[in-house]
Amino acid sequence: MKTKLLAVTAGLLTATMLASAPAKADVKIGLIGGVSGPIAAMAPAMIDAARLAITHVNDQGGILDGETLVGVVGDSACNPQGGTDAATKAVNIEGVLAIVGPHCSGAVLAATGSVTVPAGVVVVTPSGTSPEISNIADNDTVFRTVPSDDYQGRALARTLRERGYDKVAVAYINNDYGTGLANAFRGEFEAQGGEIAGFAAHEDGKASYRSNLAELASGGADTLVLFDYGDGTGLTILRQALENGFFEKFVGGDGMKSDAPINELGAENLATFVASAPVGEKSASLDTFNALFKEAGGDPDAIFVTTSYDAAFLAALALEKAGGDKAGVAAALREVSNGEGEPIGPGEWSKAKELIAAGTAIDYKGAAGDHNFDANGDVPGTFALFEVGADGFEVITEMK
Amino acid sequence: MGLLEFINFYLIPGIVLGSIYALGAVGITLIFAILRYAHLAHGDLATLGAFIALAIVTSAGISPLAALPFAIVATAVVAVGIDKVFYEHLRERPKIITVIASLGIALMIRAVVQVIWGVDSESYVRGISRPDVYFGLRIRDREIFTVLAMLGLVGALYVFLKQSKWGKAMRAMSDNPNLALLSGIDNRVVIMLTWIIAGGLCAAAGVFLGINTEIKSMMGWHMLLPMFAAAILGGVGRVEGAVLGGLIVGITEELSVLILPGEYKAAMAFVILLFMLLVRPTGILRGKVL
Repeated sequence: MKTKLLAVTAGLLTATMLASAPAKADVKIGLIGGVSGPIAAMAPAMIDAARLAITHVNDQGGILDGETLVGVVGDSACNPQGGTDAATKAVNIEGVLAIVGPHCSGAVLAATGSVTVPAGVVVVTPSGTSPEISNIADNDTVFRTVPSDDYQGRALARTLRERGYDKVAVAYINNDYGTGLANAFRGEFEAQGGEIAGFAAHEDGKASYRSNLAELASGGADTLVLFDYGDGTGLTILRQALENGFFEKFVGGDGMKSDAPINELGAENLATFVASAPVGEKSASLDTFNALFKEAGGDPDAIFVTTSYDAAFLAALALEKAGGDKAGVAAALREVSNGEGEPIGPGEWSKAKELIAAGTAIDYKGAAGDHNFDANGDVPGTFALFEVGADGFEVITEMK
Repeated sequence: MGLLEFINFYLIPGIVLGSIYALGAVGITLIFAILRYAHLAHGDLATLGAFIALAIVTSAGISPLAALPFAIVATAVVAVGIDKVFYEHLRERPKIITVIASLGIALMIRAVVQVIWGVDSESYVRGISRPDVYFGLRIRDREIFTVLAMLGLVGALYVFLKQSKWGKAMRAMSDNPNLALLSGIDNRVVIMLTWIIAGGLCAAAGVFLGINTEIKSMMGWHMLLPMFAAAILGGVGRVEGAVLGGLIVGITEELSVLILPGEYKAAMAFVILLFMLLVRPTGILRGKVL
């Protein structure tokens, strides 16, 4: 028995060693996303978009000395513990040189604070939107390709006021994402003369929210503004609010712009539901990306795919520029996207690689925007309001 | 707030939620009484039951209620299997090892569910169903079924424990394992029966939670704490106590919103658990084990 076990162990060991012995040293970046948990429906497209960027790098000469760029996927489960675990594994075990992600604000805050900032690994999140992320003491290692919710909350409030919403109740998930967005929204909505007739946080994962909804509805508002995830609690709340007729109109943030409510509740029941989300500003880069992503079998209208692609491509450019030196990635990231230099669009890796080798300054013009990072590593952005049409979400208006 | 509003939006959801908690809590209390350990994989076993029912609903095209018996049987088989493969050789070791092992089992079941069915939210029936109004009371069919099924299943279990030979054997094991073994009760059969019942009730809890909300891989894990609170509140080892405890926890969670901010709803189960352990650790009906 013992010899048998030993033989099996030895066999496994050999197999592992064979499998992990690469021809050339791979360059790894972490792709940490909310694969499970409340944004599970959004995460696959986002990871696919980031992988497309990696494919472009590898198809056009690879990174550094022709090495293969490898994206190591980790699951943050969209919560702080999961984010920390996944980042720890990526940094300490996989030895990644940069991280694209985590997807959720809470995971970003936890993972950066306890893992990546001490380790000096650059993090570029494509979807961590909490205003708190701007304030992390990060030694300039935390960036995002998505605008802060401070902008989104205010833009949504102004747009709703313009469209005649006077009195709303706000329900938000009790985490960094929900709280940040709800507070930004409340401030601007009241400043524009609107009335908040109910404002309450709720905890994730309960089976019934009818009493929460009854409390919110008791303020007399006919509109529920819901800052939550459409694949998680947000779906449960939306369902229970519709079934019981607590509210007539529903407004969601970017987290609610998920296919899950349409798939589970039916588009016919969501006629009065609108959701805001960041969109790429119309540009040549966006058209290029849309064509490339469609060609690769992806849906370019899926949420956060543009920001995910840009985050991964920028991380690769920065690694190339820094010559694979982990400590130089942050400075290089600012250099490759500061608005000065030869413009580089999505998919133009070989061109960028030559220019970097020649020492020419480059400026990445991303699918989601120009990504000229400010002092906090943030980018400004544009948002649009969506409604549910026959083929999924359709843009109603740009939000200013 | 009117009386009708109170009943419709606070009491009825509380009772439905409480019934689901009760189904899980009965299994927990039974395992605690007979095997003497806290089974932490209970929530994820419920998730598995809900997803098995989903597989039957989507493949056979029948209603989730019709799929329930199959899900109960399948989950009971899985529960017995888990016991045979994982818990059996830990039986003579200190109980804490089995408790921690069950946490590992919980993660394994969840991983299997995520691998097979994915991580998206699913539902048995697409679309929404508005409630029927009876004399001003807004009740859905599925809510009536949930409460009735809970009462029926637990009632049947209660009769089984009180009247049948094997039910008496299970109670004997719970009261005094050594004496029961000495008097010739086959503990392997008793343990198997316990897992069949606990597994079946788990599946029922998962399916009814799925019918009333959505089916997702974390659904059972989120229910674990309220179910434990219910079992301890009712008195560990008391089936009728678990039902009472489940209903109290469910209703308290819903009513808490009237007094506390909504984000503290999830903490209600903790508060009840803490309060009971401090004031009356034996539970309302004086549990036999703790």
